[in-house]
Amino acid sequence: MRATTRAELVDVEPEEPFLRVTRCRACGRVAFPPMTIGCDACGAGEEELAPVTVRAAGVLHASATVHRHHGEQAVPFTIVEVRLDAGPIVRAMGAPGGGGVRVGDRVAARWQVTGADGDGNELVEPVFEKESP
Amino acid sequence: MRPLSSLRPVHVVGVGLHPYQRPSSTPYTALGVHAIRAALRDAEIAWSEVESAYTGTASTAMALSRLMYRHLGSTGIPMVQVENASASGSSALRQAAFEVAAGLSDVSIAVGVDKPLTFSLPQAAAGVHDLVGSRAAAVTHFALLADRYLHETGTTPEHLAAVAVKNHRNGALNPYAQRRTPCSIEEVLEPPRISGVLTRLQCTPVGEGAAAVVVASDDAIERLGIDRARAVTICSSASRSEQVYDGENFDVALTRATVAQALYEAGVEPGELDVVELHDAFTIEELLYVEAMGLCEPGGAAEAVAAGRFDIGGQVAVSASGGLLSMGHPIGPTGIGQICEITTQLRGEGGARQHPRARTGLAHMVGVGAVCVVHVLRRAG
Repeated sequence: MRATTRAELVDVEPEEPFLRVTRCRACGRVAFPPMTIGCDACGAGEEELAPVTVRAAGVLHASATVHRHHGEQAVPFTIVEVRLDAGPIVRAMGAPGGGGVRVGDRVAARWQVTGADGDGNELVEPVFEKESP
Repeated sequence: MRPLSSLRPVHVVGVGLHPYQRPSSTPYTALGVHAIRAALRDAEIAWSEVESAYTGTASTAMALSRLMYRHLGSTGIPMVQVENASASGSSALRQAAFEVAAGLSDVSIAVGVDKPLTFSLPQAAAGVHDLVGSRAAAVTHFALLADRYLHETGTTPEHLAAVAVKNHRNGALNPYAQRRTPCSIEEVLEPPRISGVLTRLQCTPVGEGAAAVVVASDDAIERLGIDRARAVTICSSASRSEQVYDGENFDVALTRATVAQALYEAGVEPGELDVVELHDAFTIEELLYVEAMGLCEPGGAAEAVAAGRFDIGGQVAVSASGGLLSMGHPIGPTGIGQICEITTQLRGEGGARQHPRARTGLAHMVGVGAVCVVHVLRRAG
């Protein structure tokens, strides 16, 4: 079974990653991370923020490979910005060894196993790579 | 909203700095008092003439003002900390300027002081998470911007490195700068890269320091016998916060709007600016912001840097102090240090780094959150 520490951001049920966004019924703004409390575009209340899941796929906006980092993540690793087909630009992890992806390329996320939880489930996160034709 | 220019004139009459430096055992109180005494000497007024104090600070401690100002004599004046991330000092100056312009005080002081002790961001307390968390540090935020900019404009890593070369050349002439060693393009590009194309010398050093600016009304200048010929007028003060943009980088969009407002309120065209101090914490920022300010055509910043248009003695001196890249970025002091540099330049007291015939200057800071604060200054008379 797949599991995540960020259930508010990703839906681990589908075989390919889906992200949880909110769509404002008042102004149409699609937001990721999903908005709570109120819409940051028009100020509509939380009752207007509809939770929706969208496929983690789009066009590579930018990427940066990190070589120096003080946290637990081993270097090098790549951070990407992807303009989702659903609208927003999201910041996520690039697939390990996923070099060769260029700004403007179609990309999609796959699940990357990052560890296991106490129940024996695989902890996963979405990582973006060039989309297969 | 009414502009600052609709109120009575307010002038910078004294500036002072403690050198920006690596973190040390020097207490923040000593850093701050050093800068304040320098500013009072520069204005040739006594501490007892200062009617209020605004302290720009973000990374040291809560309630730090009085423990510092008491060493000048406990005069009982109102004092408050102003926290606005990297724009804390700029925001403190804005408050001091407003107080004098509104006629509530005749003399106020804005002080920036910080030691890099505690950095906390609000996302955790807000319960806001994303997919990358702390894996995307500030340097990576700007490395992503650089990647996009290089793709869109054909700018090269060498072009980016040229910004660091220029600003370190300027900073080497500044006795208050944290990094005072000139460097070549080859040295800037030397591995390792930190994130994306950005190397160490393309990232600001965050250390400690202090800066102080005394602002005063015409009445105070007259009454206290302050040298009017050295006064520099604050023509406008603009401050804006991030809106929702369709894909455009928020720092750039925010800079464009805030600078446009500040220039409009001051009645100044971009081409009239002689000296600009901007938030060049990373090389890519200077290229993005000079375009957003209208100092060159969109996509033309790298060529403009290469042609020397932003050198001291060029079309407009950008980061004559060395900027954040060379002078450093102790957070609270940084925005006030920019005002010290511009005031020094507009007085014609810049020494080896003096930009010829400097008459009009602009100071720009952005802060995470995101906010932007811009001031336009002009030599009085």
